Amino acid sequence: MRHGSYRFVASFLAIPLALYAIFVISPFVQAFYYSLTDWTGISPDFKFVGFDNFRTLANDSVFRQALGHNLILLIGLPLATIFLALVFAYLLNVGGRANAAGVQGVRGNGFYKLAFFLPQVLSVPVIAVIWATVMTSTDSGLLNSVTKAIGLGTSEYLANPDIALYCVLWVLIWGSVGFYLVLFNAAMSGIPKDIFEAAIIDGATRLSTFFRITLPLLWDTIQTSWVYLAILALDAYALVAVMTAGPGGPDNSTTVMGLQIADNGFQYGRAGYASAMGVVLFFLTLIIAAVMLRATRRDRIEY
Amino acid sequence: MTTPDNLSRRLFLQRAAVGTLLATGGSTLLSACASGGSDDGNTGGGGAEQTTENPFGVKAADPLDVVIFKGGYGDDYAKAHEELYKKKFPETTIKHAGITDITPQLQPRFNGGNPPDVIDNSGASLLPMSTLASSGQLADLTALFDAPSIDDPNKKVRDTVEPITLEAAMLEGKPLVLDYVLTVYALWYNKPLFAKNGWEPAKTWTEFLALCEEIKKAGIAPLAHQGKHPYYIGQVLMDMAVKHGGHEVIKAIDSLEPNAWKHESIKAAAEAILELKGKGYMMQGTEGLDHIQSQTAWNQGKAAFIPSGSWLENEQKPVAPKDFETTATFTPLLDGSKLPVDCTEISAGENFIVPEKAKNKAGGLEYLRIMLSKEAAGKFTELTGSPTVVKGAAEGLKLSPGASSANALLESGGENNWTTYFATWYSTMDKPIRSVYGELAAARITADEFCARAQKLADDTAKDPATKKQTRS
Amino acid sequence: MTVPVQIDVEDTSAKPAPAVRPAGGKDRAFSPVNVFSHTVLIAWSVLVVVPFLWAVIASVKSTGEIFGDNPWALPKELLWDNYAKAWDKGVGDYLFNSLVVVAGGVFGTMLFGSMVAYVLARYEFPGNRFVYYLFAAGMMFPTFLAIVPLFFVVKGFGMVSTYQGLILVYIAYSLPFTVFFMHAFFRTLPTSIAEAALVDGASHAGTFFRVMLPMAKPGLISVGIFNVLGQFNQFVLPSFLSPERPVLSQGIATLLGSQRYENDWGTLFAALTIAMVPVIAVYLVFYRQVQAGLTGATLK
Repeated sequence: MRHGSYRFVASFLAIPLALYAIFVISPFVQAFYYSLTDWTGISPDFKFVGFDNFRTLANDSVFRQALGHNLILLIGLPLATIFLALVFAYLLNVGGRANAAGVQGVRGNGFYKLAFFLPQVLSVPVIAVIWATVMTSTDSGLLNSVTKAIGLGTSEYLANPDIALYCVLWVLIWGSVGFYLVLFNAAMSGIPKDIFEAAIIDGATRLSTFFRITLPLLWDTIQTSWVYLAILALDAYALVAVMTAGPGGPDNSTTVMGLQIADNGFQYGRAGYASAMGVVLFFLTLIIAAVMLRATRRDRIEY
Repeated sequence: MTTPDNLSRRLFLQRAAVGTLLATGGSTLLSACASGGSDDGNTGGGGAEQTTENPFGVKAADPLDVVIFKGGYGDDYAKAHEELYKKKFPETTIKHAGITDITPQLQPRFNGGNPPDVIDNSGASLLPMSTLASSGQLADLTALFDAPSIDDPNKKVRDTVEPITLEAAMLEGKPLVLDYVLTVYALWYNKPLFAKNGWEPAKTWTEFLALCEEIKKAGIAPLAHQGKHPYYIGQVLMDMAVKHGGHEVIKAIDSLEPNAWKHESIKAAAEAILELKGKGYMMQGTEGLDHIQSQTAWNQGKAAFIPSGSWLENEQKPVAPKDFETTATFTPLLDGSKLPVDCTEISAGENFIVPEKAKNKAGGLEYLRIMLSKEAAGKFTELTGSPTVVKGAAEGLKLSPGASSANALLESGGENNWTTYFATWYSTMDKPIRSVYGELAAARITADEFCARAQKLADDTAKDPATKKQTRS
Repeated sequence: MTVPVQIDVEDTSAKPAPAVRPAGGKDRAFSPVNVFSHTVLIAWSVLVVVPFLWAVIASVKSTGEIFGDNPWALPKELLWDNYAKAWDKGVGDYLFNSLVVVAGGVFGTMLFGSMVAYVLARYEFPGNRFVYYLFAAGMMFPTFLAIVPLFFVVKGFGMVSTYQGLILVYIAYSLPFTVFFMHAFFRTLPTSIAEAALVDGASHAGTFFRVMLPMAKPGLISVGIFNVLGQFNQFVLPSFLSPERPVLSQGIATLLGSQRYENDWGTLFAALTIAMVPVIAVYLVFYRQVQAGLTGATLK
């Protein structure tokens, strides 16, 4: 390294690191500290209570419910989103007509990508308000009036505790598929043609090229996607807060950890306790990311 | 807003959170200025001779600064009140502001030591009352309540208002807030619809069931409720329970007494709700509707009754058909009820405060005294359709159907009316209890399960050392 | 807080999809695969687009029509007034606030983010890995954990409800994502040009601003667009940190909350539409870059 480069490095890092330390790192560190106190979030007085908050947390049945719901989302969201996105990406890539030039992407490829991606650019409150209206529980609700007309019957959606969480999950999936579709689509177009041609010369079908070539080559991308979707599933706060009864209802059937943090920290005046929940959430996120990255680690396929 | 359902309306928890955060931030800021702001020579106005006519010694030329929360009641009533003030002190100038976001706009003024003289501190982003109180920002209203009434100088102001006002005024052991608007909770129906079908609101449970059957046969759902906010159906439940067992029922619950929720009256009312659901008297899908959706359906004649507070008529004004007559009625009496049928739950709301550091504190107090005259209160009711805490102020007024029927219920109830506090006192208990109301109304739990779950929540709250306990009079 | 982008894929071109020669390459216009593909794809498009279209139509309906017996019916008359009402309720101000904050926030984010990413990607120094992981880990922090202390930090600087406060916080919270992906991007750029510039006597900073940044333009654009969208749609941070100067997403929340006072769902949908239009416009203009950005750099 050339002389003077340390000074340069320091000069480039100083401001961003300072911003990051002040506005991101320090609040997080403080939150760890507050998790060991009985701070109400309202009064400036609080005392150190050791691990009391974590002990209470271990017996908090609502928090355990919330954790369970996050785990359902954690499994459902990545599975469904990645599956649908892969299917759509595959259809976009090879679903088109076949001719002498080979298999083409479907016509309107651009339109589909444009449309599917749309939910990604809108803020969660907007999406939540729209979907809560679509899934209105009465028979004259938007979705109900359609399903009734085509003979599928009606549902109370968010008012039914047995399915309310899955309605939330659906909106999460709906909002995410477009992004991962475009991601996978891009990754697929990045795979050199000759690999496919070689496979086809070997007599592979379209479907088997997908499983034998596309999927393994996309593995890196899928893995990254999985981690992001997992982080999204561990949050889900804004959607639940806007869409569900209570929010978090009916009867806690849709509550998630983020909502428990918000309720305890800002409504019940238990900021210390809420911080303890946040700490749990933090470690959970960390563990899941580490596990996912490790479990799905494969040798990167070079081409 | 101070009605307990307010929280249930907060679809976005963040906003509640913002309130709390500002409370937090506010408390330090506010106390900082409370300690440091005393040397600015602010006398709080006044200084003129104190007479029966002018008990706070307002200097006639001192300007008055009024900030009104411009919500469901608008701010026209405040302009009318200001005119009354101006009539009394013609030399004054009045600065009027009708705003919706109280905290964002007023917090800097509190911090800067120049708060307005009168504030209607209400709405979703109201300044937290407890913080204002504990940091010494609020003028003591004892002088106001002890001042002679404008209508009858021989009477003190405290004797001209509903007793609930004095109860609700107390913060930190002192009367610091004037809750001006009286909310009447009721079942609501559309009078012309009932007249057309020859229906009458029922007094007994048996009659009510028979009526529901008839309504159902006519192709209308007997009862809708705001299922996404189960607070409303809980109101019906508690109303019937209190009428069945008397005021002790709600006092025991507010005091977190053991087994308060297992009282036979609560159980009887829970059974009644289950019966309504079981017999198909609740509007299809009402469990998933929010207040706007359910009330709109009710306006459209899809349901006969809906529970709500007396803000309902105003709230639904943009939606209700022209010939719609929002009319309040009582909940039916369960067999063996102790209270008469024609009483209900009431609460006092809209927090009018005078800041301790107001430039014209005396003027602020005088403004409140004027508000508590029959003329001013009558104006309020006329303009907003809502009753006030001023006794008898609505007499002889031409009121909207909603306001006059709510007023009738208020008057017929008299001493039998009651107020509930647990939901505002114990936020940790409020939200889960609402959730249990919702389960009951959807008939997913039995009456016994309802009582047991609610009691468990109350017991947990009673046991929680972090929850500050309140006592009711 | 922002959407993730994947940039380390090897090929960026928006070239047509891989052409695979089928085993029995016949020319059929309507193969079953084709029909099936379109059916599935159209079905999903409907699921995505119809709710938005409905919301836009609802913005000129009355509340009674929105919740009426047939929510699919077209409005009897077009209530453009809903837009005027939404605007009167402050949507115009909220939009302006959003634009100011996003402009400042994205500029700062891209500047500082690429500075950090460049230094981390191209310079060996003690603590390089540490700083990298410090930023990368930030993508996983649940914002909720920090929000209460963060409020007090911002208040300590006297920057609650100020543009600069929100801008600085946006920058800080966008850095992890930006650093992570710009880092990956800078690593894909060839080293020879920068080395040549340095040999020619350019300073390190000069090399960065005059040589490397222009080369990184594709990456800057796509990461920048994601930051624009992410910051424009940011909801949790401004709700707490800028109560007096609400940005648009908060404004929507306020409108939803104020329904209690004026029951007017049409106005709410008008406000929703106002909130949707700018982002959809940005997206339509830049969607090629957005989607190409996902493909990553061409330069190996």
